[in-house]
Amino acid sequence: MENARRITDKFTTQDNIVTRVTRCGGKECTVLVQPDLSDAEAARAIVYSLVNYDGEISSLDDFSEKCVFEYDVTVSEDCDEATDDLLSGDIIVCLEGDERYAIVNARSYTTRGIVEPPTETVMRGPREGFIEDLKTNLSLLERRIKSPDFAIDRLTVGRKTKTGVAVCYISSVADKRVVKKLKKRLKKIDIDGIVDSNYLVPYIEERPYSLFSQTGISEKPDIVAAKLLEGRVAILIDGSPMVVTVPFVLIEEFQSGEDYYQRSTYGTFIRLLRYFGLMLATLLPGLYIALQNFHYTLIPVRFMITLVSAIKGLPLSPMAETLFVLVLFEIIREASVRMPRAVGMAMSIVGALVLGETAVNAGLISSPAVMITALSSIALFTVPNLIGPMSVLRLAYALVGGLFGLYGLIIAVMFSIHYVSALNGYGSPYLAPFAPLVFTDFKDAVERGVFPEMKKRPRSIPNTNETRQA
Amino acid sequence: MNDAMTQNNNPSPPASSGGSATKQATGKQLVATVFILSVAAKLFMFPIYLIQSTGRDAYIAMAVAGGFDLIMLGIVLFALVKSGDRDFFTLLTDTFGRTGARMISAVVALFMFFKLNIGVAESLLFYADNVFTDFSVSIMIFVLLIFFISVGMHTLRAFCRLNELLVPLVAVGLIALVTVVAMTGYDFGNILPVMRNGKAFADGLCEHTAWVGDFTPLVLFLGRTDMKKRTAAFVAVGGTAGTAIAVFFSVVLCAAFGNVPILVDTSTNVPSILQFSVGNLYGRTDMFSSILWSVAAFIGNALLFYSTCRCVAFTIGKSAHMIIACAVCVPMYFIQVFAMTDQTLFSTIVTSRAASVAVPILAALIPILAVACSLRRGKNNSSSAQASGDAEVVSDNGENGGSADPLAKRCGTEE
Repeated sequence: MENARRITDKFTTQDNIVTRVTRCGGKECTVLVQPDLSDAEAARAIVYSLVNYDGEISSLDDFSEKCVFEYDVTVSEDCDEATDDLLSGDIIVCLEGDERYAIVNARSYTTRGIVEPPTETVMRGPREGFIEDLKTNLSLLERRIKSPDFAIDRLTVGRKTKTGVAVCYISSVADKRVVKKLKKRLKKIDIDGIVDSNYLVPYIEERPYSLFSQTGISEKPDIVAAKLLEGRVAILIDGSPMVVTVPFVLIEEFQSGEDYYQRSTYGTFIRLLRYFGLMLATLLPGLYIALQNFHYTLIPVRFMITLVSAIKGLPLSPMAETLFVLVLFEIIREASVRMPRAVGMAMSIVGALVLGETAVNAGLISSPAVMITALSSIALFTVPNLIGPMSVLRLAYALVGGLFGLYGLIIAVMFSIHYVSALNGYGSPYLAPFAPLVFTDFKDAVERGVFPEMKKRPRSIPNTNETRQA
Repeated sequence: MNDAMTQNNNPSPPASSGGSATKQATGKQLVATVFILSVAAKLFMFPIYLIQSTGRDAYIAMAVAGGFDLIMLGIVLFALVKSGDRDFFTLLTDTFGRTGARMISAVVALFMFFKLNIGVAESLLFYADNVFTDFSVSIMIFVLLIFFISVGMHTLRAFCRLNELLVPLVAVGLIALVTVVAMTGYDFGNILPVMRNGKAFADGLCEHTAWVGDFTPLVLFLGRTDMKKRTAAFVAVGGTAGTAIAVFFSVVLCAAFGNVPILVDTSTNVPSILQFSVGNLYGRTDMFSSILWSVAAFIGNALLFYSTCRCVAFTIGKSAHMIIACAVCVPMYFIQVFAMTDQTLFSTIVTSRAASVAVPILAALIPILAVACSLRRGKNNSSSAQASGDAEVVSDNGENGGSADPLAKRCGTEE
């Protein structure tokens, strides 16, 4: 049959699809199935219906009305559309004398179960996580936001992968311009394929080369639902459990889902600890080197005596040894992450204890340098999403502190803040609510305010409806 | 592209935003900037030079210089209120035509560049004298230049946000300093008499007028600041408080040290007093607070650098901000390394007759010019009822240009 052949000829190998030719209502009928992605039961039922239909059939319209009742059928004249649907798991039926294609919705493929995401584990709160199936992920959100305002705009990205992308937002809350701008950017993407949400991120960020991420990423439906309720827009991608949200502000990195499931006072305390931890993590090595190299008079005398006895006889300068330990730590961390879990643990122990201890005993590095690096690294883990950029900044600050002292360090910090101040994605200043100051947003920035007090949505995020509760 | 083609600093959505779409600085940010400028610039060398030349009257001279700057701040504020949505360059173009505006812009650029070099030299000298035992300007200046280039490349909005974040840090530095000095103890009797043969304060002040004009770069805020009803009042309070703090600290620090003639002979800046007074009692804990204060000086210098770059950009009619910023850094580097490191030469330049006459005249003329242009614009507006669609006037370097995308305009994403 000509129209069926138009589809099959597109395939390099014929093993991808199963073609079954039969007769229905006195006419030749071809059924095309993608066996790996289609429901086998549906394919069998359709063929069975066609073979056993003994009435008359003039066109594919009769097919959907008379033959197949239990499945959702659409009729299309577009061969490319039919091919795309076939590749997505739909069943295509062609009928002699009708140039069109009947597309039967029969997609079915195995997905993994909904489990707690390993990147966002909680002690309290929901344990559901997104999976690689777009449909399931959307259902997880729809279960939480049961409102007709919850909008889902579906797009397809990737010439070869034809990946399904869903842009979700609450129409009565999200700023229309944000949605429009985001969709415009997504539609402009002309790539052969995307296999994960992170592929999309550079296309939707204002500054793709920036050290800092300008999009939020979460694996948890409760977090994404909360962000949607604040006026953000979520992007779900078929094949990825990571949901991207925009607009994004830096303080989101300091917020954890669990903050909202604990007492607000404790939540505030934890948040302050995170801010302090991050400052400690990034500045401590640089400060240590700067003080040792240039400003040793600032170190109290008792500390100075201990320090001098610890660094006595070291072959490396303070800057070289601290940079050496920092780089060593980064190598060990990277190796541990890539290793299987059991080997990774052993590697960490070997790296941290054996290597560090022997290096100190051998007189290559000093124990204060190891301690400073360890303290800084532990502090860095208080904000897991910032480990990447802050590790780079920490090394940069250490280098600047070693070469230019406190003078260089203070300018380097100013430079970093100025750079981050210039980031502005989708109407949200990256450093809001601190710069520009938005006092009303402090309730969920510095402190974790109690819910009855958070009557307004954050002003840092563009939205069309400020009021959250009366 | 350029920073004027940008948006409201107010992050709030349409439901809550009230400012013009092209505003880059909020009222709070303007107050923060003014406060930082007023506490920063006059702390380092200016008081020492005044004490050297006028003796006990130095504090009066310093207060008079502060008063002059406050008057200039008042004029700039008036221009800010009257300018509406027009930026400085657009106002100049409307009043003097394109060529005239470019010529004026070139003069303003020179003024800013001169002030910038004084400020940078002061800051570096502070570090060389107080913080480092060995300080090579030719190498150390690179870090500062990189920061300046970043400021020159980015928007006024980013710069204002930086100020807003750093004001608390500077305030902490000031409070720490007050605490440390109070713990040390001070006696105002110590500061008098300080000089054997001091000049009259008017003569000393006239010799050191190169230090006035700290608020002149604020003309760049014209048309870009979201001026609310009370913004001008808060700015005036911020500027007055900052100036008072600078004068007060100079006096108190000198009183805490108690031997000002020695200070005058051995030091180049006021914070080094702490090294001699507090440092003897509590170790070098003073250094941290002094360094925090120096942040304010860097901010002041960065604003001068930004202003210079934008004036150059307007003068040459290009908006390649990175190239312009790098180009401004080159002469600055050579001036700092080969001229300003020599303290005698530095002193000769800043106290020269030319500098003493030109700087205060320009410091006063530029804000007055801004006011005149704003008033003329107001008159034109009322007579022609904006028939020419002047709300969308784009100046030569594209500043304050319209944008097709209102979101990008508001978010600052269309640079």
